[in-house]
Amino acid sequence: MHISFLIHNAYGIGGTIRTTYNLAGALAQQHDVEIVSVFRHRDEPVFTPAEGVRVRHLVDLREDTPGYEGDDPEHARRARTFPRAEGRYEQYSALTDRRIAGHLATLESDVVVGTRPGLNVHLALETRRGPVRVGQEHLTLDSHSSALRTRLRGVYPRLDALTTTTEADAGAYRRKMRLPGVHIQAVPNPVPEPGIEPADGSHKWVVAAGRLVPVKRYDLLIRAFDKVRAQRPDWRLRIYGGGKQKEALRALIDELGLYNHVYLMGPANPIEPEWAKGSIAAVTSSLESFGMTIVEAMRCGLPVVSTDCPHGPGEIIANGVDGRLVEVGNADAIAEGLLELINNDELRQQMAHAALEDSQRFDPARIAERYEAMFAALAGRGGGAGPGSRMRGSLHRARGALLGGAYAVRDAGRAALSKGRTA
Amino acid sequence: MTTLAPTPAGDRHSQADDVTADRADCQADSAGGLTFDIGDPGTPGPAHLVLRRRDSGHPAEEVRLPLTPAADGRLRAALPSSVRLAEGRWDVHVQHAGEESHRLAPGVNDLRSLVDRVPDGTGEQIAVRIPYATKHGNLTVRSWLRSPHAEAGEILISEASIDIRGRVYGTPLTPDAYAEAVSRTEPHRVQRSRVTVDGADFTVILHYGLLADAGPGRWNLWLRPAGESGPRVRIARLLDDVPDKKAIFTYPFVRSETRHGTVETGPYYTLDNDLSVHVRAAGPGKDS
Repeated sequence: MHISFLIHNAYGIGGTIRTTYNLAGALAQQHDVEIVSVFRHRDEPVFTPAEGVRVRHLVDLREDTPGYEGDDPEHARRARTFPRAEGRYEQYSALTDRRIAGHLATLESDVVVGTRPGLNVHLALETRRGPVRVGQEHLTLDSHSSALRTRLRGVYPRLDALTTTTEADAGAYRRKMRLPGVHIQAVPNPVPEPGIEPADGSHKWVVAAGRLVPVKRYDLLIRAFDKVRAQRPDWRLRIYGGGKQKEALRALIDELGLYNHVYLMGPANPIEPEWAKGSIAAVTSSLESFGMTIVEAMRCGLPVVSTDCPHGPGEIIANGVDGRLVEVGNADAIAEGLLELINNDELRQQMAHAALEDSQRFDPARIAERYEAMFAALAGRGGGAGPGSRMRGSLHRARGALLGGAYAVRDAGRAALSKGRTA
Repeated sequence: MTTLAPTPAGDRHSQADDVTADRADCQADSAGGLTFDIGDPGTPGPAHLVLRRRDSGHPAEEVRLPLTPAADGRLRAALPSSVRLAEGRWDVHVQHAGEESHRLAPGVNDLRSLVDRVPDGTGEQIAVRIPYATKHGNLTVRSWLRSPHAEAGEILISEASIDIRGRVYGTPLTPDAYAEAVSRTEPHRVQRSRVTVDGADFTVILHYGLLADAGPGRWNLWLRPAGESGPRVRIARLLDDVPDKKAIFTYPFVRSETRHGTVETGPYYTLDNDLSVHVRAAGPGKDS
């Protein structure tokens, strides 16, 4: 198959960009894969594309180069197709509208994948007849404004499939959006095997990593660690990441007298070697649209103590098997979860081993297989570029609906399985 | 979704050699040795990893390590702890036969064996090498070489004193031990502090009054493990994986009223990871 991704900016840094490169790389083992970036602001992408993945752009924003298009008057005019209620609206323009439309009208691929709502709207409205249209949701439905949800509800029925990163979010789309004929499927983000040995569990360190922002509730983690210290002063905590809350968290550490036990390490890149220095990972968020850090830590051989917040953690961690889920917003519960693993070396090692094994399901090769199966099934039922393509509207609904049925059975089986494991 | 900075080189198992050739993965052992792994560009002739000490003058002080093929098709150089690396910053270059050398960028630095490192007490010299990424994204190795050495551990801040716990390496700690705070700008000004001793472990008890009453300034902390007759040892924190302690190991400052006005006093690590005390003028009544 020829698979074409459409992304906001493939040359920068970010979770969606990394995820897209990982997925594209795995798909490129078998397929012809390109990543089309709406914008390009630097010569080389920050991430090196895997062999076989082509990267190109539609609008050149490299300042001080002959190709620079940022001063094109068309780029100063507002976008009409890209939805106004999308978070990135200000960066889009009449120029991006025209370039993206031109790109989608002449696509040679079998499958086109959009990586954010605004681009999914373009995909739904402007892809020429033929390619399977897949929209990815990297955030969640409830993170979108009602204006954006209204716009998506009007346009998304023209997609063949919509993927979310969690079952919870897939459920929200099925319940709240009513997208007839659109195959909705949860496919988690891929996380590659780290290029280092897993943690050996001998270091008395708890590790957390993420932006220092309120939603991560690091204040709660620090308070929880005060309780951990009371019982186990030999264990300490490292928090990696930068952000606006740094000073407030620093003040809290000093106020609690935890300056010999809790350290704000600043951002780390790559993060894998830092996980490997710990023996337990902690996630205390009030919300995780997926929970990439959880998977990263598990792939480095760390059991994760995480709040059971929406949406991801409960779908990643098998509670009591490869990690521990604790109540959201409760420092005592977090401390208890950490102490359970700190005080029981055998349990911790067991869970570490299970975390390593269970997180293999997020390997890019395995995630790519799920996409491949979905693409193949959708393409097999449609491929409406031929003479019968005038019928596309109805045909295309049918292919999504049929597939939805087939997958529903499998999903139900999986849900039952995961219930059994978490019981 | 995580917002952490992702791995710059992506999945290194699937990268083309021309990319990985410019990145070095470093692995540390607990004895202070390092190995460097880089991609093999297939250039004929011997290749070397070249460490050049920054600001060491002309000709630059340099250490050349042969790069030899490793099992996974990459090239490896080893810097054992026995190779002397003067204290300072050593920029890491690669040089292939017949070519100019060029800087390497950091790949994966696996420094887990440096975390909570406890060197064996008999060692003559404490050698610490921590590879790190410079702000320009290049690979540099920070080196410390101390003999004897006074390693700082937990620091307890109370209303009366700063108590610094630590351990001495390479020289006996005696009941005569004491600590000195030496004024950074006027080194003849020295304040003595009491030290309690337990084997090789010490605790410096540093009363605020002593330094705060002298007004704003900076004081470097030294240990005199055997009293006046013995060596003078700079107190530092070196035995872990953190190249720059200053921003990470930070402590609360305590306010006091002095004849110089209100001051705040607290410990901090210098750019060389040595321990010092800062007395600074405080703005009028924040919480007292």
